[in-house]
Amino acid sequence: MLKFELKKVFSRPGSAIAMGILAVVIGVTCWFATDVYYVDPNGVKQRGPSAVAALREEQKAWAGELDSEKLRQVILANKEIKSSPEYQSEDENEREIAYSRGQGFKDIRDLLNHAFAAGFCDYDYYCADRLSGDMASQFYGRRVSLLKEWLEGEAKEQYTDKEKAFFISRYEKIKTPFYYDYMTGWTRLFDYAPTVVMITLLILGYLVSGIFSGEFSWKSDAVFFTSFHGRKRATAAKTGAGLCLVTGIYLVTMLIYTAIVLLYLGADGWACPIQILFSGWKSFYNISVWQEYLLILAGGYIGCLFTSFLCMWVSAKTRSAVIAVMIPFVLIFIPSFLENIPAPFVGKILGLLPDQLLQMGNVLGYFNIYSLGGTLMDAAPILLTVYAVLAVLLVPWTYRIYRHMEIG
Amino acid sequence: MELAVTKLTKRFQDITAVDQVSCRMTAGVYGLLGVNGAGKTTLMRMLCTLLRPTGGTITWEGEDIFAMDGRYRKILGYLPQDFGYYPDFSICDYLMYVASIKGLRPVTAKKRTGQLLELVGLSGMEKKKMKKLSGGMKRRVGIAQAMLNDPKILILDEPTAGLDPNERIRFRNLISELAEERLILLSTHIVSDVAYIASEILLMRSGRICASGTTDELIAAMPERVWSMTVEKDQTEHFMKNYKTVNIKAARDGVELRLLSGQRPTPDSREEAATLEDLFLCYFGEKAGEEDA
Repeated sequence: MLKFELKKVFSRPGSAIAMGILAVVIGVTCWFATDVYYVDPNGVKQRGPSAVAALREEQKAWAGELDSEKLRQVILANKEIKSSPEYQSEDENEREIAYSRGQGFKDIRDLLNHAFAAGFCDYDYYCADRLSGDMASQFYGRRVSLLKEWLEGEAKEQYTDKEKAFFISRYEKIKTPFYYDYMTGWTRLFDYAPTVVMITLLILGYLVSGIFSGEFSWKSDAVFFTSFHGRKRATAAKTGAGLCLVTGIYLVTMLIYTAIVLLYLGADGWACPIQILFSGWKSFYNISVWQEYLLILAGGYIGCLFTSFLCMWVSAKTRSAVIAVMIPFVLIFIPSFLENIPAPFVGKILGLLPDQLLQMGNVLGYFNIYSLGGTLMDAAPILLTVYAVLAVLLVPWTYRIYRHMEIG
Repeated sequence: MELAVTKLTKRFQDITAVDQVSCRMTAGVYGLLGVNGAGKTTLMRMLCTLLRPTGGTITWEGEDIFAMDGRYRKILGYLPQDFGYYPDFSICDYLMYVASIKGLRPVTAKKRTGQLLELVGLSGMEKKKMKKLSGGMKRRVGIAQAMLNDPKILILDEPTAGLDPNERIRFRNLISELAEERLILLSTHIVSDVAYIASEILLMRSGRICASGTTDELIAAMPERVWSMTVEKDQTEHFMKNYKTVNIKAARDGVELRLLSGQRPTPDSREEAATLEDLFLCYFGEKAGEEDA
């Protein structure tokens, strides 16, 4: 039965087109994600595997614990480049030569820009250029002090004292010094992951939306519901087909995307804390890069599962694939409209909408926290648990609706 | 083997589609005859558990069919009026799928599919896609799917609608072949379909069974008699207005009429033996007709 349900889905001409679109989008996304350049000592931009290898070699040279000494070295090396005639030159090629000398510690320089910016929410690209070597020792302290300043200033009304203490405690608990390694593969993987997850979700929404309503549009409902298993196992097989589609297509897509990006750019840095990443510096989630990857993977899966099951529920309830196929669009785009409502609770609500599951990398950067029975919890585990439970609950509900369907 | 319908009623808001219908059916072919909108499809859908009745009961061997749930559907075969299918499935895939939802094991399903395709004259066409089949072929696949589980109850809703005369004859013969040791309920508004194969006819009008019995019994109980006569052309309208007219045929010396009347309409009219078609007109009046014949 399951095999035939899947066959029904893929026998629709639109399904082949949808799968083709997914393949093209994944291909294009992989191309963008792996498009890394390296500037050689002559100031010439290079692309391709040799450029990746050269960049990796340069950044690997700075791998290790980011202690005060290493940070001091970065500050001094950066200063040396900025004072070099090549950097001062008006000639573009000369400036590229200067850039090439700093590629190895470019990521660490970004962290310095974060740490020594004027405010918690600021980022000053030239901040590292103004630092002196002895300021390196303030690096980790600045991270905490900037947070405290922000919580007592700009975000004063946004959080309770308990919540503020929670954030500060998380910041203080992180193990320092951070371990740094070349991690372009992960950075690029995380940058484009939401695009891949969203496209996969839209395609899945299209594929599953016809599973239940198809019997009505094909007018095969009467034969289906008068069969021995029609109101039991055959209905369950439809849910099974939805689960197989979501699991299979999502996992295959994500694994292909991950494999292409990491095989091309390298998986080094998997054990580093996410605070090493440009997007993860402010995160209060004290986890490593591989754990962030698992969160993105799990969030995307649960998001796709929940949304697809919701599509199937709507499809069973309304007997229409057209309404069901709109569900993923609504779930993805509605939050963009809600963002404009200037109410304090809106942010809290937005942080728990299912679209957040599709961009778990961003969730890790938000300061969203919820109080459950007096215990403070961050958004990520709530999102994963709530939507996994809702997805599971939709299964018997959909089954029940379809099983008791009357054909007039 | 008994399918009993007792005071069966189905209402859709203010419309009563089936009204207090009672009947008992055992092995044999039953023809459910009525004009479009008489409630035949609603009745059949309730007999197939697709619709729940507003009132009344349907029992199989004394047990409520809705309580029997899967056990009832296991012995049921149904060919709906709008027979839908999966257009991109081959005949074989379609039948194997229906067999799987009917609870047949794959080996049995394969064997049964082969037998039924042979029976409906489609063997050798297993790989042909459903969407490429002609109307008649689709109907034959429809009867094959209904027969997959070798049902004790076979319900066929307007099985010959849209078929050409040859296909219709072929279909009637097929149903006759299948009639042994099972209950077949055949709904139609085409009189000739049931005239040949039904052992008992149920006439349905406005949601009610208005008469039932064998063809001979129904004809014998007809409240009107059949007359034929030749009249002047300008008198035709008068007769058509005042009598149920079965047939009008132009003749050399006027117009030949076949009509129904309790009394002899004119002194020179001849009484004729009634047919099922006359009976149909008698009960259904102006709404009756064989538009598909």
